[in-house]
Amino acid sequence: MSQLTLLRLAANDGTGMTTMIKNTILALLMVSLPLTLAAKGDASSGKEKANVCEACHGLDGKSVDPSYPNLAGQYESYLQKALGDYRSGRRTNPIMAGFAGPLSDQDIMDLAAWYSSQIGLKDLSIK
Amino acid sequence: MKNLIIPTILLSTASLFLPSESAYAAGDAAAGKVKAYTCTGCHGIPGYNNVYPTYKVPKIGGQNYEYLTVALKAYRAGERDHPTMDLQAQALSDQDIEDVAAYFASLGGE
Repeated sequence: MSQLTLLRLAANDGTGMTTMIKNTILALLMVSLPLTLAAKGDASSGKEKANVCEACHGLDGKSVDPSYPNLAGQYESYLQKALGDYRSGRRTNPIMAGFAGPLSDQDIMDLAAWYSSQIGLKDLSIK
Repeated sequence: MKNLIIPTILLSTASLFLPSESAYAAGDAAAGKVKAYTCTGCHGIPGYNNVYPTYKVPKIGGQNYEYLTVALKAYRAGERDHPTMDLQAQALSDQDIEDVAAYFASLGGE
């Protein structure tokens, strides 16, 4: 059953579902929705779409000012999560809210694919 | 000895007008390296995942000093919502944050 079908079911008062069942379905949706972002993005499309990001984060993901994070080489799934959170308002930043708000899921996947494909950030080393 | 007094005064006065040698003015990267031991438990394992939802723990080696201090202070203040990071950041003083940020930033991007 698709997420949209579930959402329609949960929203429809005529089905006679109990509140508990509706809440369960909604809770499952909230958990599963981020997984829809785990699909593959296209880095070359992401490069095209990154022209608005470039002014702060650089086209290669090396930011132009230390107050903006470097994105080059960051994990793809983290970038998807960050953009999704800015879009939903879970993560608040006046600048990013304006840019992330209009992005589609595909835009987010493409941008994450582009910046994660650049070379830069590293995991910490354990010594 | 007397000959050294005036040059010493001149040098120490001049240093007031020079930009700081460190790019990470307030933080001490060497102290930060020691304090960052706990951070490596997640950020030092390549490909390590958060769960519910699943996404990778971000790379912070070579991240910008200023961004890191803002992020850690936001976690500490509860303005950024992540249970583990909120708790970790609550244990940090301003100096701790500046030190670990200086260390992470010093690791440099390629």
